[in-house]
Amino acid sequence: MYESTWMFCLKRILTLPFVLLGVSILTFVFIRFVPVEPAEVILRLAKVAPTEEAIQALREELGTDKPLLIQYLLWLIGVLQFDFGTSFVSKLPVAHELFAKLPATIELAVAAFVLILVLSIPLGILSALYKNAIIDKIIRLFSILSVSIPTFWLGFLLLYLFSLKFGIFPTNGKGTLAHLVLPALTLALPTIGLFVQFIRSTIIEELQKHYVQYAQLRGLKNSVILMRHVLRNAAITLTTMLGLTLGNLLGGAVIVEQVFSWPGLGRYLIESIINRDYPVVQCYVLIIAVIYVLSNLCADVLHRVLDPHLMTKGRRD
Amino acid sequence: MKLTKYLLPFVLFLSFSIFAGCTSTDTEKGKTATQTNDGKMITIGWPLDVGPLNPHTYLPNQMTAQAMVYESLVEYNDDGTITPKLAESWDISKDKTSYIFHLRKDVKYSDGTAFNADNVIRNFDAILANREIHFWMGMVNHIVEVVKEDDYTIRLQLDEPYYPVLNELAFVRPFRFLGDNGFPEGDATQDSIKAPVGTGPWVLTDYKKDEYALFSRNENYWGEKPLIEHIKVKIIPDSESISLAFENEELDLIYGRGIISLDNYSYLKDSDKYKTATSEPLSTKALLFNTQSGPLAELKVRQAIQYAINKEQMVDSITHGTEKVANTLFWDAIPYANIDLAPILYDSEKAQQLLDEAGWTLEKGEKIRSKNGQPLSLDLIYIATDAIQKPMAELMQGELAKIGVQLNLEGADVMVGLQKLMDDQVDINFWRTNGPPTDPHGFANESATSNASGVYEAKLGLPNAKEIDTKIHQLLVGTDEEERVQLYTDILTMFHDQALFYPISYETNNMIYHQYMKNFTPRASEYDIPYAQMDKEQ
Repeated sequence: MYESTWMFCLKRILTLPFVLLGVSILTFVFIRFVPVEPAEVILRLAKVAPTEEAIQALREELGTDKPLLIQYLLWLIGVLQFDFGTSFVSKLPVAHELFAKLPATIELAVAAFVLILVLSIPLGILSALYKNAIIDKIIRLFSILSVSIPTFWLGFLLLYLFSLKFGIFPTNGKGTLAHLVLPALTLALPTIGLFVQFIRSTIIEELQKHYVQYAQLRGLKNSVILMRHVLRNAAITLTTMLGLTLGNLLGGAVIVEQVFSWPGLGRYLIESIINRDYPVVQCYVLIIAVIYVLSNLCADVLHRVLDPHLMTKGRRD
Repeated sequence: MKLTKYLLPFVLFLSFSIFAGCTSTDTEKGKTATQTNDGKMITIGWPLDVGPLNPHTYLPNQMTAQAMVYESLVEYNDDGTITPKLAESWDISKDKTSYIFHLRKDVKYSDGTAFNADNVIRNFDAILANREIHFWMGMVNHIVEVVKEDDYTIRLQLDEPYYPVLNELAFVRPFRFLGDNGFPEGDATQDSIKAPVGTGPWVLTDYKKDEYALFSRNENYWGEKPLIEHIKVKIIPDSESISLAFENEELDLIYGRGIISLDNYSYLKDSDKYKTATSEPLSTKALLFNTQSGPLAELKVRQAIQYAINKEQMVDSITHGTEKVANTLFWDAIPYANIDLAPILYDSEKAQQLLDEAGWTLEKGEKIRSKNGQPLSLDLIYIATDAIQKPMAELMQGELAKIGVQLNLEGADVMVGLQKLMDDQVDINFWRTNGPPTDPHGFANESATSNASGVYEAKLGLPNAKEIDTKIHQLLVGTDEEERVQLYTDILTMFHDQALFYPISYETNNMIYHQYMKNFTPRASEYDIPYAQMDKEQ
C-alpha cells in the first residue's frame, strides 16, 4: 500500500508521546536507584543532622514522601502543563535553567555535526577511491585513532597542541568562533572516524555492483557515475546514521563541556546527579529524548525521499 | 578515476580552510582576547559558579565570592586573633551572655545606602527566621534576641554563655550583612535576594552563570581600597583545564586548596616559569575510624593501623611535598590545640605486636590475621573523584597487607561515604577538619552532637565517649578561660590516646602566579582570598 510521507510523519509523531512516556518512566525509576536520597543530601549539604524527623520533614516539602506512582503522576500532570518542576537545590523552575543552557549545547552539537559532514564525506570518498594506496592507509589510521581515543583525553590532547603549543585557540569558555573549534572537533572526531570507515566500505561495495559496470559500458563519465549513482545510493544508509548521530552528539557533549568549560546542559546534569536533583535530571532526559526522536524522524523522512522504494514497498509486495 | 584528481585537492583545501579560517580570526580575536594582559584586571579560575551571592545561605554560593562582597562584624586572623571589622569595638557582659557591638559609623553599602543598627537587626532577623538551617553553628542555638540599643549599637543576647560567639560571627556565612536594597519581599533571604549589595571591597558588575563573574572595586569602600580595579572569576570545572588555561596565560593565578591536582601543581612549580607559594596549614586530612562495631572497636587495632603506615613516605610521594605530615589532629596555630602529644610514628613491628596482643593472630599459611575465626578485614570508603584519597587508600592497603590486615577499598561520592559511616556500614572514612575560624570549637560541637560530619557516630564505641561529650559541653558554655584550656587539652588528649583519628597531613592553600604579578602572601583561610593585595607589575 502506498503511504504518503505526510502520513508517515503523522504516524511517527503520534507515537512520540508513548516513547516519551516510556523514557520518563525509566528515568523516574532509575534515578531513584542512586544511593542516598535528595532530602538527606540537602540536609548534609547544609550541615544539618539528617535525623529521621528532619529527613521526613524535607521529604514532605520536596514531595518525595508520596508513593512513587503518585509522584510520577503529579510530575506528569505538571509536564503536560509545561511545568517541569522546581529544582531541589536552586529552588528555581527547572525548565527555566535547562532551556537557558540548551542553546549552548545545541550550538556545540550542530558545529560538531557540520564538521562530521564536511570532513567525513570527502575523506571517506577519497579513502574508497584510493583503496589501499598510501592516502587510504593514512585516512584509515586517522579514523581508527579518532574512534579509539577516549573523548576527555582527546580534548586535553587538542588543548595541549592547539592552545598551549601553537597558541591558536583559547582553552575554555564560549563566545567567538575560536572558542567553538576545539570542543566541536573533540565531539566530532570519534564519529568522523566511524563515518569515514562506513562511507569507504559502502562506496567500495557500490562500485563493485553491476549497475556501475553497465553505466561505464554506456560510456558515462566516472564523475557522473560517482555523483549521481554511487553517492546517492550510499547516502541512503548514511542519512539514518546521521539522524542517530545528532542525538548522540547532544548526549555525548557532557564530557566535552566539562573539559572545555562549555556552559551547556551537560555540566548542569553532572551537578544535578551529584545533588540528587531529580526534577532536573528528569527534565534533561525528556529534552534529549524529544530531540533524539525528532532527529530520527527527520532522518527517516530523508531516507524515504532518497529511497522511493520505501514508500511503495507494500504495493510492490 | 578522473574525479579523484579533483577530490584530493578539494579535501586538502577544505581541511586547511577550516583550520586556517579559524586561526586567522582566532589569533586576533580568540587568544589575545582571552589572554589576561589587562593591567587593571586579575583573572582567576574557579571550578564552580559563584552562585547567587546570597550572604545568608550555603551552596551553591561559593564562600570565596561571598567573602568578596559581604563583611562580618569581626574578623578572624590567621594567627587566631579576632579584630574589629564592621564593629569597631564590643563589650561582653560579666556573665558572658550579652555582647554589645559598637558599629562603625563610616560604612556605606556599595549602593550608597547606610549601614546601621536597623540594617544589622534586619539581617539578624532574616537569618534567625530560619534557625534550623544554621544549627550547625552552635551560637544559633543560644541566641535569644538581637536588639538595637541606638543607631550604631546592637546587643546580642544569649541564653547561656557560649564562648565562640566572635569566631562564629567572623565566619563567612550566614552572619554577614546585606544592604536594604538587596532584601526580597518579606525579607525571605533564605529563598533569594534581590541584589548582592554588600559593604565589602568588591561589587559584582557582570555575571554570566557558569561562565564568569566580574567583580569591580567598591568605590564606596570604607577600608583600604584594593590595588587592582577588577577581578574576573572564570568558571572552569575541570582541574586539568584550569592548569592549561593558566599555562596559556588566560588566567593570572591559581589559588586555593584542591583547585588543581598536586601533580599538576608540582609540575608547574618545577617548570620554574612561575611564582608559587603555599599558605600555612588551614585544615587537616585524616582517617576517621568507626568504633561502633567490628575490629576497630578495639583500641589496639586502631593503634596498630597507625603504626603500620609509613606516613612520611605516603604524604611526600602523593602530595609531592606540598602538604606537611600531620601527627596531631590540629595544627599548632589553631587556638587551644598547641599541646604536647606523643606522635605515633611508623613502626611495623610495634603494629604487629599490638595485633598479637589483641588476639588477632596470623595462622600458619594464612595472609590475613583472624580472631575466633573472623578475619581482620576492614572497609575503607574514599571519594572516587578525589585525586589524593585514592592513591593514599591504595598505598595504605599495601602497607596493611604486610601486617596481615585486609583493607577493602570502595570509591563512592561524599554522600554515600557519610551515610555508610553513620549507619555503621563502613569501618574507615577519609575526614577533614573545617579549618579556622570554626575550629576547634566547631569540631567539638560536631563531635558531641549527631550531625552531618559522622564524628559523633564514629566515636560511640569509645569507652569515654560520654565523658568527652560532657567536657565538650562544659568548655563551650564555660566562662573561665583557664578551665577551657584545660578542657580542650583533656579532650584532644583523649581523642589522641583513643586513636579515633589517624591524622595524615595538613592541607594548605596552594598558589601559582605569573612572573608579571607582584608578590603577595596566601592566607590560611578556606574563603578569604587576599585579592586586595594583588597587583601586576607595570
